[in-house]
Order: sequence, then structure tokens, then C-alpha cells
Amino acid sequence: MGDQSNSPSSSIDSSSHPALCSTSSIFQTRRDLLSTDLKLGLGLSTSALHGCSSKEREQLSHWPPIKPLLRSTLEEKVHRSHSKTFFVKVYMEGLPIGRKLDLLSHNGYDSLMRTLRRMFRTTITCPDTSRVPPEKAHVLTYEDEEGDWMMVGDVPWEFFLRTVKRLKITRADKC
Amino acid sequence: MVGGFRWAAMFPDEVWEHVFSFLPADADRNAAALVCRAWYRLERRSRWRVFVGNCYAVEPAAAVRRFPEVRAAAIKGKPHFADFNLVPSDWGGGAEAWVEAMAEGWPHLEELRLKRMVVSDDCLELIARCFKNFKVLSLVSCEGFSTAGLAAIAANCRYLRELDLHENEVEDNCLHWMSHFPESCTSLVTLNIACLEGEVNVSVLERLIGRCPNLKTLRLNHSVPLERLVGLLHRAPQLVDLGTGKYAAQHHPELFSRLESAIAGCKNLKGLSGFWEAGPTFLPAIYSVCEGLTSLNLSYATIQGPELIKLISRCKNLQRLWVMDLIEDEGLIAVAASCKLLQELRVFPSDPYGAAQPISLTEHGLVAISAGCPMLHSVLYFCRQMTNAALLTVAKNCPNFTCFRLCIMEPHTPDYITRQPLDAGFSAIVESCKHLRRLSLSGLLTDLVFKSIGASANRLEMLSVAFAGDGDAGLHYILSGCKNLRKLEIRDCPFGDKPLLDNAAKLETMRSLWMSSCSVTLGACRQLARKMPLLNVEVINERKRGLPLELQPDNCPVEKLYIYRTVAGPRSDTPSCVWILR
Repeated sequence: MGDQSNSPSSSIDSSSHPALCSTSSIFQTRRDLLSTDLKLGLGLSTSALHGCSSKEREQLSHWPPIKPLLRSTLEEKVHRSHSKTFFVKVYMEGLPIGRKLDLLSHNGYDSLMRTLRRMFRTTITCPDTSRVPPEKAHVLTYEDEEGDWMMVGDVPWEFFLRTVKRLKITRADKC
Repeated sequence: MVGGFRWAAMFPDEVWEHVFSFLPADADRNAAALVCRAWYRLERRSRWRVFVGNCYAVEPAAAVRRFPEVRAAAIKGKPHFADFNLVPSDWGGGAEAWVEAMAEGWPHLEELRLKRMVVSDDCLELIARCFKNFKVLSLVSCEGFSTAGLAAIAANCRYLRELDLHENEVEDNCLHWMSHFPESCTSLVTLNIACLEGEVNVSVLERLIGRCPNLKTLRLNHSVPLERLVGLLHRAPQLVDLGTGKYAAQHHPELFSRLESAIAGCKNLKGLSGFWEAGPTFLPAIYSVCEGLTSLNLSYATIQGPELIKLISRCKNLQRLWVMDLIEDEGLIAVAASCKLLQELRVFPSDPYGAAQPISLTEHGLVAISAGCPMLHSVLYFCRQMTNAALLTVAKNCPNFTCFRLCIMEPHTPDYITRQPLDAGFSAIVESCKHLRRLSLSGLLTDLVFKSIGASANRLEMLSVAFAGDGDAGLHYILSGCKNLRKLEIRDCPFGDKPLLDNAAKLETMRSLWMSSCSVTLGACRQLARKMPLLNVEVINERKRGLPLELQPDNCPVEKLYIYRTVAGPRSDTPSCVWILR
């Protein structure tokens, strides 16, 4: 409604004040029966916010005041591309020099494979293809945190990201 | 006025109606209607545009009855803080009651604009069926409907001129809703589907806009790929306002040049928005139209400063700029140097929760803009630091502010140089800006700032306060001053019962008051409700612990409070978390 400018609140405008009613006596309820912690309803009091840690800040409900569309756009951005990067070295058998690759710029194995195929100009087969790999193809392996070399694609992507140390492209007939 | 002489009979009704037709503003018409019974009668029959700022302030049937000739209606529902999830989702604001009453009493309705209301598909179907001359549907920040409802509108509103969907939550259950626009639909002037999340059939869209020669505004949603934008622009080179879809693609020199020439072909382009996922690659494609742009919305584009500067420096005629804080101070200094006609600036936070590296957007950017842009009157600025000195400078540079909203993201942030509260700075703003209609405060603030606001902000209509003040005095200053205050919304401030009860009468001169996480007790609300029968005092308690509200004691604290004036009495559609006190 950005176009609606400055028209007053209601087409039915009451500009007269009603007579103020006198306050009647307040009915007292029996407080002794109620044990509710009355302070809980107050939410965050101002004094509680001084020296707020970032964890407490997370609990600050709905602040700062940004609209849901902006909030979800920003959250999507964070999920999609962390400001962090995770570079690993990739070696191909027969090539002395390895390349570096940011694993976080990919969202899964497909994306990783596509990039590597382009980078190294070779076919790399995934372990889940049932076809027997042709002689000239390569397979992708990785070294995990325990120093073992594993086939890429066996474990869920997120788990892979946590354990991978470096990648190696080896000839299929060697495995 | 001479007693007894029916001077209104001097002229026939048609003449008076013609005279009244020169009174577009509701305030003037309201005043005319109070002059005498004849004018009341004449005015009500000639009013064709109605604005209802609070859907619960009046019974729909009463409004429809009083103004039988209405052609255009605008209605608002939920309080503003609903935008930030502070209002329970089932609070209310349903549109059915209004749409049903309007279908009954205003069959010739042409325009309907709803904001922050819950609109069901049934409502949309009713609109599509009942209003034979329907031309304009604008839904802003609404929810409750789906693309199936939109299909009904598309199919049945033969003269539809505007379908403006702005920031709504729309369920996507009818993929081909746009195919429901018949071939005979050629009247579209505005089509804004930017908020739709689902896929859009771009071929259907191409055919639709191809047959609407008067289309001026087209805002696409995120699903429309950049390659298809080219085709759409070729079919609508007369566009004045364009919202792109996804503004990223694999870099391809051919795509770039096709895009560039398609955009250049839109010689009337004044407004640009969209830019979802925009990176630096395709930004230069819009350079050719920059000089003519008056409005640029980059608030969803996380483009870095240098690219932004390159782009915006070309926009010499820009009046409105919405941008991410990635523009930084340096970028704003460039804007101040290039965009001398700038009237409205909004700077949004790219990192509201403070997880990433801090951005160099500070008070310096705001000061630079205030110094360089003499026509600036509306600001929304998210930042992390501020000084009183900067605000004093801004106040001096920009006495013409109508809207000043500053959000320092960390609550209670003082002047980072002097460590003082920001009272002096905001006081300077309200004292200097005599035409200020809207103000949002932030940072460390004591009751002193409210004293200034109460005393000086005579034109202020809307005030938003969060994490501010020392005690009751703050609220008292506001409610006892601010002659023209209409909407007051407060969260997390130590304001209690006394100023509310002492200023009860003031609340009836306002549209509404929202208070959440303050220090108001149930007893005060009960008193207020008893004292002021023309107010609905709504207590919102989502936690539902212990006894029902009727049995809670007077000293029970109130989580959320929404008070609004009404001639309709208590509403009947309250959810379980809302009590209307009597």
C-alpha cells in the first residue's frame, strides 16, 4: 500500500470525546490461590539485555525488524554459500601438480563430479553407476581423517565434507 | 449559518456533488459531512473511494451502507508488528466479512486494496464472481490464499487492469494459474507476481503480456530465468517499471548482449527491482537505462560495494534507492555525489544476526547522504553504530524529513564515541524536522528523548519504539504530546500502567496502540476497557499457562497489548490467545 498516502485513519471519524467514566472499585481476586510466577509474562526486561551475549541475542525474538521475505532471502544465501570456503587438493594420477578445489561451492556429488570432469578433462565414474568403467576412465577417491583412501560417493555429502582431507583421481583399472 | 434557512437547497444536489468531487481527501470529506444533514446525505452518496485503516474499527455492513457508491476500497488488517512475527498467526484480520459485505452492497466495486489481511481463496473467488467491473486487486503482506484463488481472478475479471501482489505468502497449488487469463484479456497495466514462490510458465506469460499493450508494470518472480527475460522485454518495450526474475546465469557473452539490447529497447523504463541472486556479471546490462531511472530496488541483491558504485553513479535522476548495506559508507558517499534528486533511501542489513565480518556501513554514510541530497525526505537505515553528532548533522542538513527510521541493530547501543544515550541526536531530528510524520527509534535512549518527541513532533503520525526509555514518564510524554499521533507501537520498554490510564482519552484519538514485553498489568487493561467503551482492549497471551485470563489477578503482567478505537464493539473472531476486555 505504498500508494496510499496520508489519508486519515477511518472514513467514519469520531472527533468527539466520550465522557470519561469514573473508575469503579476493583474486584480483588484471591492471590493466595495463585502461585504462577508472574514475572514470566514480562518477557525480556530491559535490564536483562545489558551485556547480552550473542547466544542470548539469538533468543531476542524477532529483532532486528526485517520482513520475512528479506529474512528468508538472507537465510537462503547463508545456506547456499557460506562465507567460509573449504579448499582441498586434488591430484590426478600421472600429473605432478595438483589443483585446489573449494568443496563448499558445490552442493553435492553431482556438482563435484561435473567440476572435476571439466577441470581434468576426463570421465570420472561414480561408484553408484552399474556400468563397468571403460579402461580409460578414472575413479575419484579421497583420503579421510584417518588416512584411509575411500571411494567418493559412499557416504552422505555432509559427512563427506566433515572427513575429507584430499582427493585423488586414479585410473579405474588400478582399483 | 442563518438559522432555519435551508441554504443547502440553494443548489440542486448534482451541483453540490460536483463541488464535493473536488474534495478527494477523506479528511475534507469527513469535515463536509459534519456540516449539516443535507451535506452528510450528499457527501455519502458521492464518496466513491474509501480507506479503512483498521478493519475492526467499523462493521463492514455499516461502511457499505453509509457509502453506497463506492468504487474503490482500501482496508488494512493486522498491526504493523505482524511483519516481524510479533502478532500470533491466528490473531485475525480475515477479509471474509468485508468481502461478503462488499459483494452485497458494492456490486460495482472496481478496486480493492488489502494490506496485512488473511485472504482466503474463497474470498478471491467471491471477488471474481461478484464484481462485474473489477479492475484492480492489490494484496500487500497478505496470506491465506493460493494460486488457485489467483486462477479464479484471472479467469473471471474481464477488465482486470492491475494484479499487484506485494510480499504475500501464497501457497502454490495451481501451477497453470496464469493460463486462466483468457485470450480476451488485453487490459493489464500492472502485473506484479514477485512474491510467488512457484514456477511460472514463461511462455504463457509471454503470450499474456504480448496481448496487453498498456502494460506498464511487470514484476517477475524468482523462478523466471534470465534468458527468458529477454523474450519478455521484447514483447513489452513500453514498460515503465520492471522487476526482473533471477538475475544470474552462466556467463555467456551472447546472453549478455541480448539482455543489454532488450533492456535498452525499453525506452520508458523508470523503475527497476528484482535482481534475485544478482552478481556483477550481468549488472552492466542495465547501464543504458540508468540515466532515466527514478527508482532502483537492489534490496535482494547481495552485490558488493564497488559494483554498486559503478551502477548507481550512472543513475543521475534516481529518486528512490533501496539497497543492501554492502554499499558501505564509500558507496553512499558516491550516491551523495551522483544522485542529487534522491528523495528516499533504504539501507537493509545483509547480515542482521551479526555472524559474518562487520560491514563498513556507519553513521558516515548517513551523514554523507544527508549532506549531498537536498531533496531527501525519507530514510530507513540499518546500521551498527551511531553518534549524537552525526544525528545532529543529519537533522541540520535535512529539515524536510517526513520519515526517519533508524535501526541500530544491537539494542541499547549508545553513542559509540561519547558512550552517551542517543537522546540528543533524536531530539535534534524531531526539533528540526517539523514535517516528520513517521519515526522509528533505536539505540540507548532515556525518557529525555520522549520529552522532546512529545513536545516537538507535532506532525508525527506513527512512532515505533523498541528497547528504550527508563520508566512510565517516557510513555506519558508521548501520549500527552504528539498532537497528531495515530499509530504507536512499542516493544521491550519499561512502560507501565500509569501513563496508559492517565492518557486514556488520547487513545481514542489514535488508530491504535501496540505494546509488547512492557510492564503493563491486567488490572490496568481492565480499568482502561471499563473507562473507554469506544476502545477494544485486546490482551494477547500466547503462553496459556495457568488460569484463564478472566480469573487472573490484576497484577498479572500482560505480554502483548493491542488497543484500537472502534465503533463496532468487540470483534467476534478472536482466537484463543486473544481476550477483549470489557
